[in-house]
Amino acid sequence: MTGILTASSVGKSYGTGTARMAIIDGLELSIAKGEFVSLVGPSGCGKTTLLMCLSGLLTPSVGEVRFKGQTVSAPPIGLSVVFQDYSRSLLPWKTNLDNVLFGMRRLSMAAADKKARAAEIIAAVGLSGFENHHPWQVSGGMQQRVAIARGIASQSELLLLDEPLAAVDAQTRADMQDLLLDLAKRFNQTCVLVTHDVEEAVYMADRVLVLGPRPTRVVREIVVDLPKPRDQIATREAPAFLHARHEVMALIRGMRAGQNLS
Amino acid sequence: MTIARYAEKLRVPICIVLVMGSWQLIYVLGMVPAKYFPSIFAIAVAFWQMLTDGAVISAWATTFLRALIGLVGAALLGIALAIISDLSPVMARGIRYVSDVLQPIPPAAFVPMAVFMLGLGPKLYAFVIILVTVWPPYLNGVSGLASVGAVQLNTGRMFGLTNWGLLWRVKLPAAMPEVFAGIRYAATISLIAVIVSEMLAGRDGIGFMIFKKAFALRTAEVFGLMFLVGFNGVLLNGLVNLLRRGVTGWHIRMMERHE
Repeated sequence: MTGILTASSVGKSYGTGTARMAIIDGLELSIAKGEFVSLVGPSGCGKTTLLMCLSGLLTPSVGEVRFKGQTVSAPPIGLSVVFQDYSRSLLPWKTNLDNVLFGMRRLSMAAADKKARAAEIIAAVGLSGFENHHPWQVSGGMQQRVAIARGIASQSELLLLDEPLAAVDAQTRADMQDLLLDLAKRFNQTCVLVTHDVEEAVYMADRVLVLGPRPTRVVREIVVDLPKPRDQIATREAPAFLHARHEVMALIRGMRAGQNLS
Repeated sequence: MTIARYAEKLRVPICIVLVMGSWQLIYVLGMVPAKYFPSIFAIAVAFWQMLTDGAVISAWATTFLRALIGLVGAALLGIALAIISDLSPVMARGIRYVSDVLQPIPPAAFVPMAVFMLGLGPKLYAFVIILVTVWPPYLNGVSGLASVGAVQLNTGRMFGLTNWGLLWRVKLPAAMPEVFAGIRYAATISLIAVIVSEMLAGRDGIGFMIFKKAFALRTAEVFGLMFLVGFNGVLLNGLVNLLRRGVTGWHIRMMERHE
């Protein structure tokens, strides 16, 4: 089976000789269309570097990333990254609507159609009425929703989410998790979520890929066998949830203990 | 409470009254010989006479236009130098060395050579004013372009911007508030440079008029002209602010919000 996104023998290192620092080494993964996959790993394992390599913003030192069968050498149309730092990712001189339109700049559509589509997606993330506000005039959670809308509007099929909810408060985070799951389904988005939060990783995903310490690779795959739609209360109490959470946490704790010893 | 509100509303007239009052007090107390320090009324009368004979109007227009053209030229050149510096590290170092050498040279030092090379025409003024005014927009441009964050650049790349696209659509808009801070500072420098150049080149403009009247010991008229120079500053800053509100109004509103 070939997925929408595959990485084969991907390695990334900086420097040469004794100063060489390997971040990723021999990483393999395959994401199927329509899947929601979480990537978790110990702190500092190179998750963000991996996401940059998957998106084409960084070029792997060795190996190959393919998106829809094509080798990724620059960010392709159909793939978009939602960054953790939404306040720096949104352009402050543009309104929320113009930020979403900025995501559509490569699409060949009439300006009026673009505007209508942008307005539709802004409504889907619950920001109708804030189109003409600037990002800095709305709350953090709303800013991240603008960034998500911009990602989807770029005719995205694959969203790479780089700890998108790490900077929003806990209550907003739960709402945003459900919104993301809902949007993924509604706009047929395949999602790869990088997160520190093991519970979030399990709650959101069909599959959790656990990354090893640096130089990182996928060390374990855990299939999350929970019904959809997920529910913030019921899902988090389900035995399958607790079991998956236990497994991921134990793995990461083991790795951290190993790191501390070495 | 209400007094504070009136004071806030009337701050400009209050300042004017305070300045003029102190001036008049110094005059009345005779702290400086009256010959060199005329009363406010004497200055007003002298200024009014100059206005009615018309010479001062054309001198003012000449001077203001020179400062304005010099400022526009310096701002454009400064931004261009900043962009070149951003594109090429080698050029960046070269331009910085040149700016380190030229920056501390005062406008007055450029004028004699410039007169020999360029004559007394508009080229002289453009050369001198731009040469001393270009640095703040250039320096602020360099720092503004360099401080655009990695996340913003990655966002631009993700949506397919090339290096040129990133420059025009992400880096320059992000750097504009800082560039305008430099242009505001440059406006003051260009006014100083034009007055100094006119004094030394000695043909026309407010600077030359001040020089001439000072030699004739017409102190009331000199002071009147100095106020006019100050008014030029207010006018030029007003124009710059108008443009700044148009180009980087988002930033001004954002800063007001975060206060």
